[in-house]
Amino acid sequence: MENVLTKQKHRRGFRFYASIYRKILVQDLKSKMSYRADFIISTIGMIMTNLSGFVTFLILFKNFPSINGWDYHHMLFLYGFSLLALTPVQCFFDNNWNLRFQVQSGDFIKYCFRPINVFFYFMSEVFDVKGLGQFAFGAGTLIYAWVNIGIPVTPLLILKLMLFLLTASLFMIAIMNAAAATCFWIVGSGYVMVIMFRFKDFAKYPSSIFHGVFRILFTFVIPIAFVAYYPSLAILESDSVPVLTWCAPALGVLFFYLSYKFWMLGVRKYDFTGS
Amino acid sequence: MENAIVMKNVCKDFKILNRHEGLRGSIRDLFSRDYKTISAVKDVTLEIGKGEIIGYLGPNGAGKSTTIKMMTGVLEPTSGEILVNGVVPYKERTKNSEHIGVVFGQRSQLWWSLPLIESFRLLRDIYMVPKKEYEDMIELYRSLVDIEPILHKPVRQMSLGQRTLSDILAAFLHNPAIVFLDEPTIGLDVSMKSKIRDLIKGLNQEKGTTVILTTHDMGDVDALCKRIVIIDEGKKIYDNDIEHLKSYFGSYRTLRMRLSDDTWEERVIDESKEDVMEVILRKQKEHKIKDIQLQEISTEEVIKKIYEGA
Repeated sequence: MENVLTKQKHRRGFRFYASIYRKILVQDLKSKMSYRADFIISTIGMIMTNLSGFVTFLILFKNFPSINGWDYHHMLFLYGFSLLALTPVQCFFDNNWNLRFQVQSGDFIKYCFRPINVFFYFMSEVFDVKGLGQFAFGAGTLIYAWVNIGIPVTPLLILKLMLFLLTASLFMIAIMNAAAATCFWIVGSGYVMVIMFRFKDFAKYPSSIFHGVFRILFTFVIPIAFVAYYPSLAILESDSVPVLTWCAPALGVLFFYLSYKFWMLGVRKYDFTGS
Repeated sequence: MENAIVMKNVCKDFKILNRHEGLRGSIRDLFSRDYKTISAVKDVTLEIGKGEIIGYLGPNGAGKSTTIKMMTGVLEPTSGEILVNGVVPYKERTKNSEHIGVVFGQRSQLWWSLPLIESFRLLRDIYMVPKKEYEDMIELYRSLVDIEPILHKPVRQMSLGQRTLSDILAAFLHNPAIVFLDEPTIGLDVSMKSKIRDLIKGLNQEKGTTVILTTHDMGDVDALCKRIVIIDEGKKIYDNDIEHLKSYFGSYRTLRMRLSDDTWEERVIDESKEDVMEVILRKQKEHKIKDIQLQEISTEEVIKKIYEGA
């Protein structure tokens, strides 16, 4: 490994970044474990958050046995799917929440002095363990719904699930990147982030319940409908998959790329005044 | 001598929105195109040779940090040319950062929760430092400072002095051609200051590293720099040997008088305008003088004179 790296000087590819990320992650987890109280409290907090979300969902369904033709298990599927799709943004891109503080205090400049990608370097500093609990919760819900709806377990469907989960998570990551990057231009970017993060709650409902302006808004402007609804249709209605579902992977990559470019544009345009 | 840094007629302007007062004013600001331009750096031309330690001085807000941010590739100059190790920093930020090290103000660039040695290992991987070179560098560090007490300590638990020391060591780790040090001794005690000066000097001599040092502490300048560059209001106002600067002020003396209440009074006298004896005699009429000292003007006083516009 050592020799391969030296030979490839100036060429830092995927393997290089993966190896650096892994090393930072291992060190970070080691130091997190040493703060045990912190670790336990955040784990409990995470379980409570997920449980309360789930209870709200159950109460809703006690009163309305179906929403716009979606029955209990289908809704549960969508719910689990959205939790899984929101895991990567929680685990790997959580440092977006700190961006505005670091930019305003001037500490952000340190990310610009290393010969590696600024976006990667910034995001690599935080790995949020809370996301792992969310992942477990989401996976449990999804499997339960999957079995109860009676969807067959075929390699093709599993592959589809992976692809569309990845797609869905790209949309949420893109939304949060773009929201965080507004801090390079405006002071009140915290509100933008909170609002965008709140929108994710709409992800667990079929977007067919929204009408008119909201449907267009959640599909094309702030693509929340892509965080669970459209991708999950690939599995739930594999006979009549809508066009937007098939477009989702490409759109996801595009949205992510645009949000990354927007984020990096902010870095380049920012003045870093004061010292 | 080969140059590490070349700057030609470099200018940097910032556009700042003219803000208006009150709620109505802020709404107007939303749509306003009413910008004013502030020139932070004006037409600076500079050449820095390999292996030099340069004192880059100037009062607060003179444009020092802006210049360094341009040299490190963080900011793009509005006009003019900059070459750092033959690279245009802003266009090739990544390539440029392979060959520079930066310690910026009071901000640690190390991983906050990691022991120093783990930060070193990550930096070794990020800069792709060959194993042998890395080990040699750690050996060199051992010979220059006592790094054992800090090597296994997480950065968050370090004292300010230890953290500064760690940041300087981290900046030299990949053996860069140039290291930028922005106020490395600010807030440190006397013994830590001298430790850090010795370290910088030692690394410069061993590795031939060019060092750009900005500081307000003239002790740093006296200990480390032969040449100084002074910038004020964005313009370069002095660029030469420090001794040469002092000779400008050859007729200046610092007169120190111990008064009857044992306090020392200090003043700078230009001998071409005032007679030292006369000043003493005048003072003698008001106070009893117990002791006097006459010194050559210090670097501190020279710089103060320049900032004040002498």
